[in-house]
Amino acid sequence: MNETTPRLHRKFKIAACLLGLGLLAEAATLHWSHPTSFLFFIGVGGFLVIVGMALYLLAIVSE
Amino acid sequence: MENQAFAIVVILSLILIGLLVARPSLTTARGGKILAFIAFFILPIAATGFGAYIHLEHSKSTQFCLSCHVMEPYGKSLYVDDPTYIPAGHFQNNRIPRERACFTCHTDYTMFGDVNAKIRGLRHLYVYYLKEIPPKLALYEPYKNRECLHCHAGARSFEEKSPHKEMRAQLTNNEMSCLTCHNTIHNVEHLNKTKMWKAPNA
Repeated sequence: MNETTPRLHRKFKIAACLLGLGLLAEAATLHWSHPTSFLFFIGVGGFLVIVGMALYLLAIVSE
Repeated sequence: MENQAFAIVVILSLILIGLLVARPSLTTARGGKILAFIAFFILPIAATGFGAYIHLEHSKSTQFCLSCHVMEPYGKSLYVDDPTYIPAGHFQNNRIPRERACFTCHTDYTMFGDVNAKIRGLRHLYVYYLKEIPPKLALYEPYKNRECLHCHAGARSFEEKSPHKEMRAQLTNNEMSCLTCHNTIHNVEHLNKTKMWKAPNA
């Protein structure tokens, strides 16, 4: 593979969006000192990061 | 320190991800592939790990515990102007760190004590949001002497004082609870009738 295919690039973009949103969500919860913030950290931030990473890994494996 | 590390990792990750999305041709070279793996996999894991650690550290603070409405009376009980109230006596006389008052007494001093405390915390959240909060809060299991002895064992004021000296073995083996004699704990039902201590810098 010498060039990034449009399909792979599209997957990278989606993974990047998910990771970016996940990391920002994680960062936002750190400024909120309440037990619920941990749930948001894991449930929203962690979930988006894991899905983003999984999508990236699937993209590079499948191409 | 952890906050700075988290911020650095997140910013670095976002910059690299942005760069690789803007210039996908970078990922065709071997170095670019490694960079993408770091940006899309290693750094997000590191950021999530740092974040989880920061949350766990936050959760040890008194402010964090008292941020739940149901814990407010327990927070107030730390300011009762009566030294026979065990939590108040410990809090007001700096026998425990004030900023970690709840955690210091309510963690298990065992290898996985912190983890157990966090699991109990998640159980609290479950009850708080999905179940009915009991009118009178109680510990899940009886308070163990181990938690008291973690600090008091070896202290002269404890070891040489009667009747601790005579019943030391019973206390160590948990055959007799410290709370049998020291039985004025939070007593939140009586807070309205109790005089409160006003901390100088409060």
